[in-house]
Order: sequence, then C-alpha cells, then structure tokens
Amino acid sequence: MELQSYPGDLDALAPIREFVKNAAQRAGLNRKATYNLCLAVDEIATNVITHGYEEAGLQGDLRIGAEIKPERLIIYLEDTGKSYHPDSFELPALEDLDEPLEARPIGGLGILLAKSGVDELNYSEVDNKHVHQFIVRRDQHA
Amino acid sequence: MALDISSEVIGKSAHVTLSGELDSSTAPSVRQIVDKVLADSPINLILHLENLSFMASAGLRILIFAKQKAPDLKVYVVKPQETILETLRKTGFYSGVYVVDEAPVV
Repeated sequence: MELQSYPGDLDALAPIREFVKNAAQRAGLNRKATYNLCLAVDEIATNVITHGYEEAGLQGDLRIGAEIKPERLIIYLEDTGKSYHPDSFELPALEDLDEPLEARPIGGLGILLAKSGVDELNYSEVDNKHVHQFIVRRDQHA
Repeated sequence: MALDISSEVIGKSAHVTLSGELDSSTAPSVRQIVDKVLADSPINLILHLENLSFMASAGLRILIFAKQKAPDLKVYVVKPQETILETLRKTGFYSGVYVVDEAPVV
C-alpha cells in the first residue's frame, strides 16, 4: 500500500478528506458512510496536527493510505508527533450532551464524532510512528 | 474546497451564511465573524447552512462559544444538509438550536 504524504498543518485537512472520499467511493460506500468516514479522519487528523505537532512544538508529516479488502475499507493515518491515544481523550458524558450549549465542555466532541463515524477505530505505535486505523464494513454501508 | 462566509445584521438578527467546508482550518474566520456580529447584541443568530457540505466539531465549538458569549441568544440553523443534521443530533446540539427550513421573520 502506498501512503500519500502531507505536511502536518491544518491546510492538510482538505486534501486528506478528498483522499478519503475517493477511497470510500472506490470501496462503494454510500454517501452517509463516506461523509462519516471523512469526518472521523478529519477529527483525528485535527487532533494529531494541533496536539501532536503544533502544541508539542514538533514538525512532521501526516501519511495516509487506503486498503480496500473484500469486506472492509481500512484507512491508515500515520504521524510522528507526540503520541495521543484516542482513548486518552475523555468523551463527553451522556448527561453533558443534554446540557444547554453554553454549559457544554468543549473537549471530546471530535473524538465522539470520530468513534461514531466508523465501525472500528484502532491505534498502534510502531518505531516512533503512530498509526490510526479507521475501519468501515463495506457490506453494511453500500 | 474552501469556505465562503458572509454576514449581515438586520434589526436584532445576525445572519451568517456559510458555503463550503467548515473544518479546523476555516473555523477561525467563522469565529471571528460570529464575534463581530455578536458585538451588535443581536437576539437571534441565524446560520444559513444550505450550502455547507462539511462541518467538523470545530463548528460545534463555535456554537458553544456564541452561547457562552450571549447565553440568551437564540440560534437558528437554516436548512442544514442531512449529514450535518446528524452531527447535531449525535452530539445533542439539536436540542440547543432551532433547526428550520426558512429563516424566521423577526
């Protein structure tokens, strides 16, 4: 699998979504699943860029790849910034989601959208590289 | 695709129209515009989203920001696309805004 590389800044978000959209279309995902996958990748890429690179004072690339298997589409997002396990972000509590908007915690919304936008979100660290894997089952979202 | 933003204050209503894609790279300009229109102390913030094709959580944080700045502000979301509506539902924002097909005449 070939990985496409983008500089780790926020300007990379639009071309990354375009990459994901193309892969989702090639995998035959429907419009809603395609959007949700683009949103999931966008939210994680945003976290990697802002927390993993910019706030940590680090520079690096985001590398993205797609693998279309008979049953599922897997998007890989690789970075070399500060490590952020998606599970290390606190999700908003259910009661927070009923609070008036002005009383809402601003954190955790992106992770909530990322996790709910795909069938599986996996994370691993290999040789100082961090890899997020977004998995969507093709048969259920065709 | 970038984001086009326009705004206009009519009486006590601030209208902001967004077309394109709202992500973390385009959110700061939206926040700036919202900040600017809120300076006129409107009663209503009317967001025209018919041509907004993508909205990340950065868009939701702008809504929180607006409501924190003006807790009595009524926020209307006009004609959001189904995918954006789903984001509002999933995150519980649906109950904090008025989703409408046409801008209210106020």
